[in-house]
Amino acid sequence: MHDVGGQSGFGPVPVGDEDVEPFHADWEARVFALSRALRHNGVFNGDEMRDAIERIPPHEYLAASYYERWLLAIETILEEKGLA
Amino acid sequence: MSGRGERSGEHDGLVTPPTKEGFDDHEDLPVAARVRRLEERVVAAGLTTDDELDAILDGLLRNASPVNGARMVARAWTDPGYRETLLSDANAAAAELGFGTSGYRLRAVENTPAVHNVVVCTLCSCYPVSLLGPSPGWYRSFAYRSRVVREPRAVLEEFGLTLPDDVEIAVWDASAETRYLVVPRRPEGDLPEEELAARVTRRGLIGTAAV
Amino acid sequence: MSAYAPGTRVRARPGDPAHHTRVPVYVRGHVGEIVECEGEWPLPDDRARGVTPPRVEAVYAVRFPARDLWGAGAHSVTVDLWESYLEEVTP
Repeated sequence: MHDVGGQSGFGPVPVGDEDVEPFHADWEARVFALSRALRHNGVFNGDEMRDAIERIPPHEYLAASYYERWLLAIETILEEKGLA
Repeated sequence: MSGRGERSGEHDGLVTPPTKEGFDDHEDLPVAARVRRLEERVVAAGLTTDDELDAILDGLLRNASPVNGARMVARAWTDPGYRETLLSDANAAAAELGFGTSGYRLRAVENTPAVHNVVVCTLCSCYPVSLLGPSPGWYRSFAYRSRVVREPRAVLEEFGLTLPDDVEIAVWDASAETRYLVVPRRPEGDLPEEELAARVTRRGLIGTAAV
Repeated sequence: MSAYAPGTRVRARPGDPAHHTRVPVYVRGHVGEIVECEGEWPLPDDRARGVTPPRVEAVYAVRFPARDLWGAGAHSVTVDLWESYLEEVTP
């Protein structure tokens, strides 16, 4: 689902979605920080994170926001590794 | 997906109905509670600490900004030696101004009268955060990622950028470990470096605006 | 370290691996031209699957004409691809 280059049907670019503030909510910032920290500490690497995002079933992937996908991925990896 | 309107959805308890804008409005939604639980679990497991998470966010908000990329571009416009460094070894050029680019190769691509560059990551949303700040929603959107490789001229029109027909468009899809920075064309006029830097926008550094 | 010099014509391998990879579908099977080598980097396909140590390969910027990818368009699209994603096109 992630590999969207050239696909049609996504409509106009949301050019107004400029996000001057980096995060829309505090939980998004915490997810961002968790991802950075856990990669930095060797809990998982960036490609395991990408892979976990890409394994989200398409209907969930499309319905989730950007940082919800990150959250799902982190939860999935930790569960698979039996870490937390 | 990006944007508040697209965020609504129901799946595995991730219920995030559209809400009024604001940084803290989502605090009490289930997803925020879920993140808090996750954070508690990883801290309890010794995988990170609250201090580390706070320091990461503090560093991000304090240091990562498109002002950094703009300063590199303005320096390149006014200092031929720096321009040469930027185009041949952009990581070194970033370091020269004190900006970190660890973990990736930085490549600056320069717009000319004949070629306009525009950057995308079709597979996810890779992007030099330390030089551009966290990415805008449109950069992460499926619409931008899917269409700019196929019909860049139409996409740039949606951003209000109309390029002459004889300007060639070069699209760069950051699919590996290189992050791209567009060097826009220098505005007319004999402006000092600081004023030039103030003209450079995040969109200009991605290639969806002229400057 | 780099097998392909700038200007070399290469084909992005077709096929769809079951694991994480970084060959966008839209260039698979298409022929492009090496722009430059980007140094050597660990292969994401290995890193994503916990293969240790991961293979380390040269990565190349490869430029594809839009007309070949989409049947239309005057622009080019440059994609960054690991060496094992590519095969040389014999003239």
